[in-house]
Amino acid sequence: MSQEAKPPEAPTVTFTVKAGHVSNPQTLEVHAAEGDLKPWDLDSKLRVVKGRQPRLDGKYKVTGRAKYTYDINMPGMLWAKMVRASVPAGQIVKIDTSKAEALPGVKTVWTTDSRSVRFAGQDVAAVAAVSPEAAEDAARLVEVTYDEAAYVTDLEKAMADDAPQVYEPDKVPGPKDVPKKGNVVGPTSPRRGGNRGDVAKGFAEAAVTVEETYSVPVHTHSPLETHGVIAKWEGDHLTVWASTQGVLTVRDGMAEALGVDRKNVTVITEHMGGGFGSKLAPSATGTAFAVVACKLAKQAGAPVKLMLDRREEHLCTGNAPSALMTVKIGAARDGTLTAVHYRSFGSAGIAGGAGTGGPAGALHGKCPNLKIEEHDVFTNAGPAAPLRAPGHPQGAFALESAVDEMADQLGLDPLEVRRKNEASPVRLIQYDVGAKAIGWERRNKKAGETAGPKKRGLGMANGNWYVFARGSGVGCEVRIHRDGSVEYFSGAQDIGTGFRTAMAMVVAEELGLKTTDIKPNVGDTRWPEGPASGGSNTTNSVAPAVRLAAHDAKMKLFAVAAPMLGVKPEQLDAADGKIFVTGSPGKSVGFKQAAAKMTGETISAVAERKKQYETYRGDLAGCQFAEVEVDTQTGVVRVVKMVSVNDCGFPINLLTTESQIIGAMIQGVSWALFENRVLDRNVGTMVNPNLESYKVLSAKDMFEAVPIVTEIANAGNNTSCAGIGEPCIVPTLGAVANAVFNASGARVRALPITPDRVLAALAAARRG
Amino acid sequence: MAHPSDKDDPAAPVVSRRTFLKTAGVGAAATSLAGVAIPAGAAVLGPGPVPLSLKINGAVKTVNVEPRVTLLRALRNHLDLTGAKEICDRGACGGCTVLFDGEPIASCLMLAADAEGHEITTVEGLGSPEAMSPVQAAFVEADALQCGFCTPGFVVASTALIRKNANPTLDDVKDGLAGNICRCGTYSRVFEAVQKAAKASARPAGRKA
Repeated sequence: MSQEAKPPEAPTVTFTVKAGHVSNPQTLEVHAAEGDLKPWDLDSKLRVVKGRQPRLDGKYKVTGRAKYTYDINMPGMLWAKMVRASVPAGQIVKIDTSKAEALPGVKTVWTTDSRSVRFAGQDVAAVAAVSPEAAEDAARLVEVTYDEAAYVTDLEKAMADDAPQVYEPDKVPGPKDVPKKGNVVGPTSPRRGGNRGDVAKGFAEAAVTVEETYSVPVHTHSPLETHGVIAKWEGDHLTVWASTQGVLTVRDGMAEALGVDRKNVTVITEHMGGGFGSKLAPSATGTAFAVVACKLAKQAGAPVKLMLDRREEHLCTGNAPSALMTVKIGAARDGTLTAVHYRSFGSAGIAGGAGTGGPAGALHGKCPNLKIEEHDVFTNAGPAAPLRAPGHPQGAFALESAVDEMADQLGLDPLEVRRKNEASPVRLIQYDVGAKAIGWERRNKKAGETAGPKKRGLGMANGNWYVFARGSGVGCEVRIHRDGSVEYFSGAQDIGTGFRTAMAMVVAEELGLKTTDIKPNVGDTRWPEGPASGGSNTTNSVAPAVRLAAHDAKMKLFAVAAPMLGVKPEQLDAADGKIFVTGSPGKSVGFKQAAAKMTGETISAVAERKKQYETYRGDLAGCQFAEVEVDTQTGVVRVVKMVSVNDCGFPINLLTTESQIIGAMIQGVSWALFENRVLDRNVGTMVNPNLESYKVLSAKDMFEAVPIVTEIANAGNNTSCAGIGEPCIVPTLGAVANAVFNASGARVRALPITPDRVLAALAAARRG
Repeated sequence: MAHPSDKDDPAAPVVSRRTFLKTAGVGAAATSLAGVAIPAGAAVLGPGPVPLSLKINGAVKTVNVEPRVTLLRALRNHLDLTGAKEICDRGACGGCTVLFDGEPIASCLMLAADAEGHEITTVEGLGSPEAMSPVQAAFVEADALQCGFCTPGFVVASTALIRKNANPTLDDVKDGLAGNICRCGTYSRVFEAVQKAAKASARPAGRKA
C-alpha cells in the first residue's frame, strides 16, 4: 500500500531524480530510506530492465515438464475428494459416511462440524482413498440429509423486505455506523477517492443530466488449474504444495487452523496455473479444502492430494460480485462535469465486499462534486473473492457508459469530454497515444450511421488503479557461487505473470550479466518473505529488495575483484559479464574470473525492501479503445480490435508486461460479451458450472489486441516499477459497450452484451 | 445385442460401468453399458486393474489400470507424463490434447484401453527443455504463454495443425485452435508463435514441426 506522505522518521538520504514521462520530465527529490539505492529514472542507462526477455521457465512449460501442484504425485499418496452441499439453505440433519468407508481403498473420511448450510457448494464431507477413481466413488456414497430452508439467490429479490434473511451480522459485522436492513448493508464509500463537494449544488448548475442504471452479473475466476494442495506430514512438520497466490497466507492459515507452529509449516508453489484473485485465501473463500486435506493426511498417516474439480471451482472458490449501479452525472454544455452521484448494490453471496465505487472516486478528477454510495446485498451463493481489480471493471463500465451517454446527449466527442475533466497528466498523454493507434477519427459521428446490416464503430473508456506495495518485511537473497553462477531466492510466487523472469532481469542488470545467467528460485516459505500476489503488488514489492540484494552481492564480489585490478571496490562497475574500473573499461576482469577468487564457495547477500516513496503519482492511469462490428440482424457483436494504453511505472520486462495487458483485454472482452454465472432460481444452484456453458472467450472470438505501455519513472522505489495485472482490465467492459453504441446505436446497459440484448436495445433506439 | 435369457442367468457376466467390453475381431469397443449382458465373443476387462500395453512417444509402456481409467489419467497418474492437463474433464477446453495416430484428441474422453494398438504422442514426446520443437521454441520466443497450464494442449494442437497445413492463415490457426481455452489470455501471441513456427518448419533446412 502506498504510504501517506509524512515527515520521515528514520534516517534518510536525498536523491534527485528525473521522474514522470519522457515527454514531460520532472526533477524531483526522493527522501529515500538510508541504505536504499537511487531509483532508476529517465536518465538511467538500463541494459536489461525494460527489455523483452522470454520467460526463463518457458522451456519447461512448453514441453510439459513444469510441475504444477496438480502434477505432483508421490509414493503412498492418497487422493481426496470432497462432498458439497446440494441445497442452498438449511440444516444438515445427518451425514452418513458408512458406505463410503466400507468401499475398498478408502482410508479415511472427514465431516464438517457445521450444521448450517448457506449456499449450494459448501463443504460437507471428504474422503481419501488409494486412487482418484476410488475417492470419486466413495464421495458419491456419502449420504447427506438436509432440512431445507427458504433461500434467495437473486440480487434484487434479496433486497425485498420479505426476502429470506441471509445476512448474519455476527458473521459479517461490517463497519459500525453503516445502516443494515434485511440483506442490505450500506451505504458506504470506498476506502480511496470518496466524496467531495456538494452534488445537489453540482446538479443544480448542470445544463444536462444523465441518470441510468447498469448491471454486471457474477463472473467466476475459472483459473485453469483448480484450487488444490498436497499435504504431507513428517512428524510435526507439515509440507503443503499449494496452487496459491500466497505461500505465506497458506502457511499462516494452516498453522492457525491446525494449531501448528508457523515454523513447522512449509508451503511450496513452484508453478501455478492461474488465480486472478481467487487463490489469495489459505484455502479459498467458500471452502476450507486445504485444511481438510491436511487433516486427512494426518488421520491417514500418508500424503494426501486434494484438487477441486471444475464444478467445485465454480461453486466455492470465489467469484466476482454482481453489480447494479445507478450513475447520475451533470455537465455544462461544453462537457465539463459538474457532479457525479454513483450508487451501487452488489452481491458477494454470503460475504461482503461488493463495492464498485473505486473508478468513480478516481476518474474525472476535475469534477468538483462527487458522492459515492455502495451497498452489499447478501444472497445464498458462494462468497466472492477479489477478481482482478475487485469492483473496478464493474464500476468503470457503469461510469464510463454514463459519460459516453452524456457526450452523446451533448453532441460532443466522448474523448474530448474526458480530456476536459482529466486530472492525470499521464492519462492525457495516453489519450493521444490510444486515439492514434485505433484511428479514433474513424468513429461514427452519429451512432449507427454506417450503411448495411453489419455496422462498425469505436468506443473508449478509462480505468484506474493504485500503486500498491508491501513496503517492509519483503526480502531477497542473491548468491554468487565460485563457478560464477548466480541465483536468487524469493519466497514470493510466480502466478503466471513472469515474476521470476522479471526479478532475474533486475539481478542481471545490477550484476552486469545476461538474464539467462541467473537461476530463479521462487515460491517457497523457507526463502525470504514475499507478499501474496494481489493488488498488482508483487513486482513492486519484491523488485526493490532484489535490486538491493544483487547490489550487496556485487559489492562483496567487487571486494574480491579490486585487488586483482589494483583499485578500491568503490571504483568498480559491472557490465557485459565483466568487472571494470569506472572510466577505464579496458581495465577489467571477467565476472567468472573474479568469482573463482572468492575465499568461500558462495557469496550471499540478503536484503530487505525499504519503504515505498510517494514521489510522482500514487495512481496508475489507463484507457482503452475498442473497435467492434455489430450484426444488426442477428445482434451478434464481434470485437475487431482493441488498444490498451497503460502506466505501470517502469515495466521490468516489456514482453511479459504486454502479455498481461493482452490477457486483460481478452478476459475483459470475455466478461463484456459472454460470461455469466447462472444460479437457477428454482433450485438455488449453479446450472453452468463447467467451461462450455460458462462460456469464456476462445480463439475464434479473438481480435487484434494492441498493448501499449506508457513508461513512467515514478521513483516510488529504487526500480521505479509498479504493477500491471489489474489496471489494464478496468476499462475493457466500458470500451466495448461504448463501441457497440457507436457502431449500432444500441445502448446495452446490462452485461453480457448478448445478441438478444443488442436486438432489444436496437428496438428501443428505433422507438426513440 | 444382449439375449433376453442372459438376464435370467445369474451366472452370466454382466457389464457394469466399472468393467470394459472388448469385442474380439472388431475395432470398436462398447463402454458404459451398465447392466447389459455380454455378447458372445467379447471379453470383459475389470473391474479390477488390468494390464494395458500403450505405445507412448515411440516406446511401449505397460500400465495396470482399472478399465474405466481414461487415457489422460493413465498418462498422468501411472506414467508420470503430466504435461496433458485435466481442466474441464469433458472435452471442452483442449488442455488434455494428445496426438492419437497423429490426430489431436481430448485424452479425457478416451479410455486408456481404447488406446491400445495406437500411437500416442504427448507434449513430452514433441521436444524437451534442451531440444524444443520449432513450435515449442516459437511459443517461448513469442511469449505465447502466461501461467502455462493450457500451453501443452496448445502446443500439441498447434503441432497437429502445422503438420496438416504448412502455411496456415490467421483464420486457419484460429480454426485449428478453436478447441483450446486459455484463461490468462494469450491467444494473439499463440497465433504469432504458430505462424512463426510454420514458417520455420517450411524452410528446407528447418526441422519438422
